[in-house]
Amino acid sequence: MTDATGPIARQAGSRSLLTPDARTKKRNAAEARFRAYGVAAIVTAVLALCFLLFTIIRDGHSAFQQTYASIPVTLQAEIVDPEGNRDPAEMAKVYSMSYGRILDDALTQWIEAEGIEIEGLEASDIKGFFSGEAQATLRSQILADPELVGTTVDMTALTSSRVDGMFKARVTEESAARDAKTSPAQIALANAMKDRGALVTRFNTGFLTKPDASDNRAEAAGIGVAILGSLYMMLIVLVLALPIGVAASIYLEEFAPKNRFTDLIEVNISNLAAVPSIVFGILGLAAFINFAGLPRSAPIVGGLVLTLMTLPTIIISTRAALKAVPPSIRDAALGVGASRMQSVFHHVLPLAMPGILTGTIIGLAQALGETAPLLLIGMVAFVSTYPAAPPEGFFDPASALPVQVYNWTQRADPAFFERASGAIIVLLVFLLCMNLLAIWLRRKFERRW
Amino acid sequence: MPVLWILLIVFAIAAAGYVLGARRVDALSGGDHRRLHSRTTYYGWNVALFALVPALLLLMLWLFAQPLLIERTVSSYIPDSAIAEGETRGIVLGQVRDVAGTLNRAVSEDVITDVEAANLQPDDAEVMDRLKAAELPILTTPEILGAAKAHRRMVETASTWLGIVVIALALLWAGFALWRTSPDFRARNVVEQVIRGVLIGCSCIAIATTVGIILSLVFETINFFQLYPWQAFFFGTEWTPSFGGGSELGMLPLLWGTLYISFIALLVAVPIGLFAAIYMSEYASRRVRSLAKPVIEILAGIPTIVYGLFALVTVGPLLRDWIAQPMGLGNSGSSVMTAGLVMGIMLIPFVSSLSDDIINAVPQSLRDGSLGLGSTHSETISKVVLPAALPGIVGAILLAASRAIGETMIVVLGAGAMAQISGNPFEAMTTITVKIVGQLTGDNDFASPETLVAFALGLTLFVITLALNVLALYIVRKYREQYE
Amino acid sequence: MDSAHLTERTMQTMADDIKVQARNVQVFYGDKQAIKDVDVDILDKTVTAFIGPSGCGKSTFLRCINRMNDTIPVARVEGQILLDGEDIYDRRVDPVPLRARVGMVFQKPNPFPKSIYDNVAYGPRIHGLSRNRAELDGIVEQALRGAALWDEVKDRLSEPGTGLSGGQQQRLCIARAVATAPEVLLMDEPCSALDPIATSQVEELIDQLRQDYSVVIVTHSMQQAARVSQKTAFFHLGNLVEYGDTDDIFTRPQDPRTESYISGRIG
Repeated sequence: MTDATGPIARQAGSRSLLTPDARTKKRNAAEARFRAYGVAAIVTAVLALCFLLFTIIRDGHSAFQQTYASIPVTLQAEIVDPEGNRDPAEMAKVYSMSYGRILDDALTQWIEAEGIEIEGLEASDIKGFFSGEAQATLRSQILADPELVGTTVDMTALTSSRVDGMFKARVTEESAARDAKTSPAQIALANAMKDRGALVTRFNTGFLTKPDASDNRAEAAGIGVAILGSLYMMLIVLVLALPIGVAASIYLEEFAPKNRFTDLIEVNISNLAAVPSIVFGILGLAAFINFAGLPRSAPIVGGLVLTLMTLPTIIISTRAALKAVPPSIRDAALGVGASRMQSVFHHVLPLAMPGILTGTIIGLAQALGETAPLLLIGMVAFVSTYPAAPPEGFFDPASALPVQVYNWTQRADPAFFERASGAIIVLLVFLLCMNLLAIWLRRKFERRW
Repeated sequence: MPVLWILLIVFAIAAAGYVLGARRVDALSGGDHRRLHSRTTYYGWNVALFALVPALLLLMLWLFAQPLLIERTVSSYIPDSAIAEGETRGIVLGQVRDVAGTLNRAVSEDVITDVEAANLQPDDAEVMDRLKAAELPILTTPEILGAAKAHRRMVETASTWLGIVVIALALLWAGFALWRTSPDFRARNVVEQVIRGVLIGCSCIAIATTVGIILSLVFETINFFQLYPWQAFFFGTEWTPSFGGGSELGMLPLLWGTLYISFIALLVAVPIGLFAAIYMSEYASRRVRSLAKPVIEILAGIPTIVYGLFALVTVGPLLRDWIAQPMGLGNSGSSVMTAGLVMGIMLIPFVSSLSDDIINAVPQSLRDGSLGLGSTHSETISKVVLPAALPGIVGAILLAASRAIGETMIVVLGAGAMAQISGNPFEAMTTITVKIVGQLTGDNDFASPETLVAFALGLTLFVITLALNVLALYIVRKYREQYE
Repeated sequence: MDSAHLTERTMQTMADDIKVQARNVQVFYGDKQAIKDVDVDILDKTVTAFIGPSGCGKSTFLRCINRMNDTIPVARVEGQILLDGEDIYDRRVDPVPLRARVGMVFQKPNPFPKSIYDNVAYGPRIHGLSRNRAELDGIVEQALRGAALWDEVKDRLSEPGTGLSGGQQQRLCIARAVATAPEVLLMDEPCSALDPIATSQVEELIDQLRQDYSVVIVTHSMQQAARVSQKTAFFHLGNLVEYGDTDDIFTRPQDPRTESYISGRIG
């Protein structure tokens, strides 16, 4: 034995376990720092999430409230029914614009009756007080019930986005002075009306049900068409992607031989899962619209594009669910004389179903939030009419929730930003429900083998 | 006949076939089902599938081939002389489709009758006026109008024949299957073979999608490079599209913006994601883990449009007012920093969950070995676990980079639209994806290089992300094999 | 060689003093008690073998000696384990320097995915045992010689340690443990993943290590215990049933349970 095989020289200094040496202290400090980085990373991520959600809710919650003016309105016969015969067909020839005059007159009279005096209040302030939508609402109300002509009714009329903004801290005296569409006098008027109970703020059902509105009617814009469009697309994705995805997974997991062709499919699926979504949009534009001649802006095209995007997600989760079913189940079925096809469809598939459904819901949730590909297939167009009921409705122009959000961010009126955030809240609530459903399914049917 | 109706009829035939097949074999066996090779439902399915599968295959094939064939025929209506200077046949054919589409809409909105549409002449002032009044004006050459009418006629004839042929095929095969039905017929084997074929068909949709993506990108890109030199596209440093002509369509400023933003995003996401993963897999107690992991994963479930709005409304102005303006770095809310920061937040859960998997795949015995030698937990992680997990983490970062490069909504709303090459992260820049959206949204003229450039950009994007993905998946797979 | 060993072994045992003392050690995994009231004195410069049927607690007890059980969240240790008279479970004790003094070799060879050199240098580096590269080179060589591996690997120190054969890997792990200059070496079934030839090499090595360290080895093989150890402790169902000179345990067991185990009736 040589010298070199002896024990290695031990550390000098304190050998007591009870008093740590300087080096150990230093190393423990490094340990604490490292741990702190980890905590900081998690805290940063969580704070970012909280800040994101906080700003969305801060900006968007007011979209669910809307200001309405509630004043008595005299429906002057000479304006709405110039012929005087109460015939709705004749009255339909009067444009909405004229109804605006009725509202303006009503407001002027109310101001006089209440004895309010506001310096600098001009006709344009009165005119700009109501939403353009209020005229149209009034018109359709009267056309539906011509007997109202000539009477005085208590109207609840939608006010303009500026008036609405005054009660949402969006419009201030300062900004009103700079804004051509409003004035400090209008603010004073609105405050006076509020004091006398003539302005009410109510839950904004129109936001959830109405279609989009034009650039200068932000107060009337809603997400009705967008919700419907998203719903149609989700239906198409569900009907197409679930069966195709499950069929493909069953083949790959249960039947496919290990060969080059199967490998090719596998590689394709894992790559498709990572292809940028916008590329799917280009595919939709080139293949479904330009080549196959399907209509632009239609849920069918959006649904097909999203189906192709969702398929990899569904296939990956379905295969995981099939893999989780133990081979003993297959053996048991084969052992009693079932064919392989029977063992899969009668035994394996039902057992894997909760996992498959969970994966499908997650895939649908992804598809619901997808925006970029839909922009390319024209879903960003302004759509103010509801699509028809399916299946014809699948071919009608529609919007989609995330696209509607994008659409509103491109408009000038800040009221649209409030609505964009409001639409996001709705979108997030949908996503939350879908994810909770998925979690519930997983918990309820979770099986441990 | 609308395709929907054809589908419904074919399904009805299949349903009837199912009932008939099951009944027939029941009758043939004299009610003694033990004499049958398979259970009666299989005889029903046999007929139903024979009715469905060939008919649906033909329907799909027909719908795929019809536009191609019609295009070729219509093309013969247009003499070379009718193609204007600077246009291609493809552009003119696009116009033909547009005119045909307008005519269809006019008919469906009852502006003109079917007969009027079929006989429309450019000098037919009364009908033309009516079209104009309905905001469906037709402004085109007689050749194109003629071709458009032929186009409509052919589509109509084709759809009639489609219905007849598909339904006949369904009936024929259903009849054949019914005729073949007998108690000795191995219905289950046949049905299972057909189902197997359907399953294989569904698996091939992944391949079809990839092929579709490549074809749609490549064809239009070729068209683009016929109108615009490829050297100028790949190496040009100016991006000034103008639909009036004389555009500079150099890709480099867009590529620069894309890479710059992705770099910042990774700079945010990789350290945070990695440390979060390390903390959760190595330090956190079960309770903290079960709380923090889902919370971070919520970030992954939030749609990108939400991040986009967050960048546009909150982060952009915040950075501008608190950092860029006081330091004199710029006045733009949209900037590389805004988009990069928000994209980084979006990528945190992506990096952390991938790294989490990878760190967990490092065998416990390595940790024990290191701890047993008296190293601290952090020394174990940074000197043993992370080096062992490095290939996997590199793969995860590549995947995240591919995500960042392909991300669209955050950059559309957060990065701005200025195509420039600059080092200042507080200036607005733009990316490949932003320009794809920009050039393809709204009314497109598929004849102009300004629209077609989007396809060349799309192809570039596809190739870059594909390369990153393949490389990343290869690395991750190799890594996993090492510890399996 | 065998007879020479025997005499040497007996002499050695008598000369040694107590290195580790365990007093009333109890270990719990959650509610389950894995070790019940174990008292044992482990001698310096001696190989002590822990034997017993699987699940008897021998590995658990071994892991208590360098506080590796700390890494298992539900594990709880009561009682005292004294290293040179100091309780390693005292609140003031930092397990990190403790583990440098009480090294450990595991069941499955677990070389780090680094070069052979870096594997051995890992411990000295983190504990700062060398002032320069030359000293570190010296430590690495000494440790590899100590693990009887030097001649096999001296020409390929920069190759990955995972490329060695199973027996070489385990000796590399022993070299890695030796390089931190420990006083006690814990070995948890170090040969269970090795073939017979590699096993005999490692056993030979253990016998050499006895000259400088107090070695504690857990083994499921009674032959191995008989071959390498001077003291043997028999564990059964979490109890230390019998502890004494190896020769006595295998030839004249006091407890009927020990006898049944040795004769192959339980275990």
